[in-house]
Amino acid sequence: MSRTLIYLAMAGVAVVLQTVVFPVLLQGYYKPDLLLILVVYLGLHEESRRGGLLVYLLGWAYDGVAGGYPGLNGFVLFGVFLAVRGIVSRVNTESSPLLLLLVLAGTALQFVMMAFALDFFSQTTQIWSQMTWQLPVQLMLNFIAALILLRLVLWLQRTFMPRKTLPGLRKLDSRYES
Amino acid sequence: MWEWWRKNKPLLLGGVLLLVALLWYSVNLRQQDETNFLENVVLRVTGPIQSGLDEMINGTADTWGHYLYLIDTAEDNRQLIDENRTLRAVLTESDEVRLENERLRRLLEFKETQEIATLPALVIAEDASSWFRTVTIDKGSDQGVTEGLPVVVAEGVVGRVVRSSPRYSRVLLITDASSAVASLLQDNRARGVCRGQGEQLVFDFVLRLEDVKIGDRVVTSGMGGIFPKGLVIGQIKSVVRQEFGLFQEIKVDPAVDFSHLEEVLVLLRSPQ
Repeated sequence: MSRTLIYLAMAGVAVVLQTVVFPVLLQGYYKPDLLLILVVYLGLHEESRRGGLLVYLLGWAYDGVAGGYPGLNGFVLFGVFLAVRGIVSRVNTESSPLLLLLVLAGTALQFVMMAFALDFFSQTTQIWSQMTWQLPVQLMLNFIAALILLRLVLWLQRTFMPRKTLPGLRKLDSRYES
Repeated sequence: MWEWWRKNKPLLLGGVLLLVALLWYSVNLRQQDETNFLENVVLRVTGPIQSGLDEMINGTADTWGHYLYLIDTAEDNRQLIDENRTLRAVLTESDEVRLENERLRRLLEFKETQEIATLPALVIAEDASSWFRTVTIDKGSDQGVTEGLPVVVAEGVVGRVVRSSPRYSRVLLITDASSAVASLLQDNRARGVCRGQGEQLVFDFVLRLEDVKIGDRVVTSGMGGIFPKGLVIGQIKSVVRQEFGLFQEIKVDPAVDFSHLEEVLVLLRSPQ
């Protein structure tokens, strides 16, 4: 329960950063998708039932601040979560570069699922070409954000909680990599 | 069979759940123009935080920008820096007030030309995602803002309200891919539909025979039932007339600078 609350708080901070802080810092429409990074992290470290439900709810809440299609982000983020869960047993998750790689793959999957859902079900036109043009910038921003977050979280843990481990964090710490 | 089911159960179950999520999304598209319970809650919760943070960030950005500027003059001498800092602080402050006054005066003049009742609002946040173009304003259903109302500034059309909670609303910008505005050319009255393309617009369904020139002004036609007639949308940026086909390919530069939206007007009564 407390872990769920932590995830919800993290999602709240991500939303505030994306809606208010990044538009001022980055001076444009582009911003890193921190919620997607959180979903990839959840996919790596939470069990399917609990994580899936949480991600779907987060996606629905995300619709309140992103886009105008109820259920779109729920579908897309849930899809990204399932994709990460699907490969967790097949790869070595005890590696920090994996998180970065999965963030890139998650961004690409998000683009495909979102463009598909918008193109087939809504009244948008030329959505594939528009989104394709934006994809490289989004990939770069998400990668940089994941890299910074990874280093920041590890530094915070080493500095303030050296004897404790945050859920799943140990696996991402390069000190434990062989 | 049982063995196969047991082996592929997670994959099948995941696929079914994903399909359910997709179907649920498509079903919800019918209620796309209404604010659902969860969106209402999210707007209510995030609105005050965004509003407070927006105010704080703008203040900090002003101070920081001012401070950075003054670092360059540190080489001269301490006295000049102090004097310069004080003067610039006053100047920045008065410039900010003057610019705000200019913006508000333009908005007020524009407001007075409108026959429809208007409500001024502040933009407090942008869309959380890079894929969409929406902004959050600090007025909601308590002030009479409901879904579908047009939002404008003195320069032209901004968008329409798509979500509304008691104190905050979300506005879909005309540059969003799902936005379409019934429009016409101010000079020759050629009709078409302006669709959002992220940072610019395309003017669709303008017949090949129509004479369209770069720089022509595009205004709302009032046909869509959302925007009143005659509001400026933008200027023609490029025209491609193919040898075949019914329509021309026209790109439009929006009249409004969406990256610097601060104050907007909500037109409280829709034209129809």
